[in-house]
Amino acid sequence: MDTVKLYLRSMKMLLRCQMQYPVSFLLQSLAQLVMTGGEMMAVLLVIDRFEALNQWTGGDLLFFFGLMNVVFYITECFARGVTGAFPSLVRTGRLDGFLVRPRGVFTQVICYAADPRRLICIGIGALAMALGSIQSQVIWTLPKVLLLLEAIFFGYFQITGLFLIEAIFCMFSVKSVEVVNALTYGGRSCCQYPVDIYPRPLQMLFTVVAPFGLTMHVPGAYILGKPLYGWPAWSAFLCPLAGGVIFLIMYLFFRRAMRYYRSTGS
Amino acid sequence: MNAYASTFRMRWKMETQYRGAAFGGLFCQLFFGLFLIALYRALYAGKPQSMPVSAIVTYVWLQQAFFRMLLSDDEDLLSKIQTGSIAYDLCRPLNLYGYYYMRSMAQKALGSIMRSVPMILVAVLLPGGWGLAAPASVPALLCALAAVFLGLLCVCAMTNITMGLTMRTLDSRGVRAMLNLLMMTFSGNILPLTLFPDSWQRVITLLPYAQLLDAPIRLYTGEWALSQAPSVLITQMIWTLLLTFLGLIIWKQNQKRIIVQGG
Amino acid sequence: MSYIEVHDLCKRFTVRKKREKGQFLREKTIVEALKNVSFSIDQGELVGYIGPNGAGKSTTVKILSGILTPDGGEASIGGIVPWKERKKHVKRIGVVFGQRSQLWWDVPIIDSYNLLRDIYRVPENDYQKRLRELTDALDLGNILRTPLRLLSLGQKMRAELCGSLLHRPELLFLDEPTIGLDAVSKLSLRDFLKEENQKNGTTILLTTHDMEDIAALCPRVLVLGHGKKLFDGALPDLLSRYDTQRVVNVRYNGDCFLPRLPKGCSVTKEGDSYKIIYAPEQLQTPQLLSILQSAGEIRELTAQPQNVDHMIAAMYKEMDL
Repeated sequence: MDTVKLYLRSMKMLLRCQMQYPVSFLLQSLAQLVMTGGEMMAVLLVIDRFEALNQWTGGDLLFFFGLMNVVFYITECFARGVTGAFPSLVRTGRLDGFLVRPRGVFTQVICYAADPRRLICIGIGALAMALGSIQSQVIWTLPKVLLLLEAIFFGYFQITGLFLIEAIFCMFSVKSVEVVNALTYGGRSCCQYPVDIYPRPLQMLFTVVAPFGLTMHVPGAYILGKPLYGWPAWSAFLCPLAGGVIFLIMYLFFRRAMRYYRSTGS
Repeated sequence: MNAYASTFRMRWKMETQYRGAAFGGLFCQLFFGLFLIALYRALYAGKPQSMPVSAIVTYVWLQQAFFRMLLSDDEDLLSKIQTGSIAYDLCRPLNLYGYYYMRSMAQKALGSIMRSVPMILVAVLLPGGWGLAAPASVPALLCALAAVFLGLLCVCAMTNITMGLTMRTLDSRGVRAMLNLLMMTFSGNILPLTLFPDSWQRVITLLPYAQLLDAPIRLYTGEWALSQAPSVLITQMIWTLLLTFLGLIIWKQNQKRIIVQGG
Repeated sequence: MSYIEVHDLCKRFTVRKKREKGQFLREKTIVEALKNVSFSIDQGELVGYIGPNGAGKSTTVKILSGILTPDGGEASIGGIVPWKERKKHVKRIGVVFGQRSQLWWDVPIIDSYNLLRDIYRVPENDYQKRLRELTDALDLGNILRTPLRLLSLGQKMRAELCGSLLHRPELLFLDEPTIGLDAVSKLSLRDFLKEENQKNGTTILLTTHDMEDIAALCPRVLVLGHGKKLFDGALPDLLSRYDTQRVVNVRYNGDCFLPRLPKGCSVTKEGDSYKIIYAPEQLQTPQLLSILQSAGEIRELTAQPQNVDHMIAAMYKEMDL
């Protein structure tokens, strides 16, 4: 509870820091708007030309696009310390400052940075999700709403876990950002569409290694009223937990890797 | 001419130094290429289009291979602009426009050669339906090569305009991000231009962005027949001249402003 | 057992060399930052930790503050091994890195302090009391509402110090706290540290290159070089070993006839004054004075003060650092 309080205080502080430069903040938010808007346009153009993708209608595709954007940008907004700032924390030696305080390193990294510009992207994602669900005539029920929240919650943890891999590599000063990027940003682009349209190896990658399929697409299929690959309905509620598992594994690795941290600078 | 040649050589050295980063970037782009192709194949399976899927696959690979031609910022120049030390350069009796034009050309040309050669090698080796197809004909290939060169000239002119505008705004990140996004969208990197609605295509293929990679690739795949090649090349040339001219005006004005401000 | 016990501490770093032409794999070299360093410090001591760049000072401080894990040896501070129980350990320590800030750049420093209060879980009334104490002692009252980025270097350092003392640490690590400060700021900082040490009994380990800081503050110094401990004791004892030369300037009215001085002494003429460098071992001071007096009519005689920096440089040179 105490940690949550600390997190909220930190976020308030970071927001105040951002507001010191209002023009810059506005311009960059606008750039975010155009960027995500452009990606949404690309999806709409694909739907316009191809109408459907296997069993998925245009509305379904828009819904999946929205869901991915909401989850990914929530992570980039609220876990910026892991998704973007970490390498520079190590390089500048700021991580030293975290280690001499009586709190978990992970907690402090999460509290260290936020990126409120991403709120706009989250908004666009939510809009796409709403439009998609209307087009696909989704009838919202309480279990569906709960499942959506569960998917977003565990999706957040899964993506944070994937970005932690980069942080772990940083400890050993291995520069392999691109390989991790294939899982994170690659995963985001790939899994804007449901994984079952891809060939087997890609499907395996995104259900076992980076389980976007489990955290987002199975719940999505349930919400959109599609068959769950012959699985029972309750499995849709179980699948997102995979995101939590990935996070836990990476978090434990991260804690072990901290022992090998060699602080730079004199 | 000697100064330009040594600029080129220096860039080459810089590019070859970051071999690790080049491998990583190659891996990442191969991955993106494969994912895009998987997506388009799945889409085509449901509703085939007039343009065959093999042409789209080739389109995707060539876009990925020449990605560095579109987006690559000259960090040196950017930091000079941000710190304001560009003002000193602008006061020198030197054709700065030409100097930075050559610099970005070296960066873009070398960057895309270093990326595209290994990528094309891999893409050719991939099994049918996933790999890069041969060009429509030998003359088509030659036309495509000429068009890539013109595209390079055109994109360098565009970069110099972006940089010239960057010098006028204090916080340019937002503006540059938007210009870059326009470039990625309308050059066909995010979605092949051939998949845009047909009515849109009539306009966007005439935009300068389409001259960079879209036009050469369409010549390569034969989507645009040889008989259309002259008009394509002429469009490219017109844009290159126009944009170079515009860039020169912007840089000249910047120069004047600095001198006036300096007093 | 002392408060800080360090025994045979070792730390190695692997450094990858830059790849040379035609070489496929990069060469690795192992640098031993610390080689079997041992010392102990009692509660309430104020110890200066000196040595040339790259001697391993920062590595020691980083190990003792729980940032790095050593490769060998033992250390305990108040019965806790820093790298084994990090959170429990760092609750009672404060750290100031002279070059880095732990405060937030864009917000008033009071907001940073409030966040630090939450991080260290300091009870509210304790916090308010301590904050008042520190703002008075460090003269922060009228800059509490100013963002860090608008403060001068001296103000920044005082603000940092306040931030790292809010939770009443029993042990304070200071890494180059006076670097870049003007004379006034330096002096007031020294006064503050002395008082913090005497009034609250805070143990302080001060790393610095500024020998005046050490001379003014630290009854005890530890010298480190090439990862080894070279000296542990009082500063005057250290200096007396290297304090081999004295310098006297003398000016005469009219002519003078200086005789040849014994070996090891030298005379140089600078303008109308003579600079005499002598070793007290060879030529005792009263002896020198009588020689000077008999050489002519002295107008002015000044003795140059001992220069700590020169002595330390001589020491480093002799130790081959």
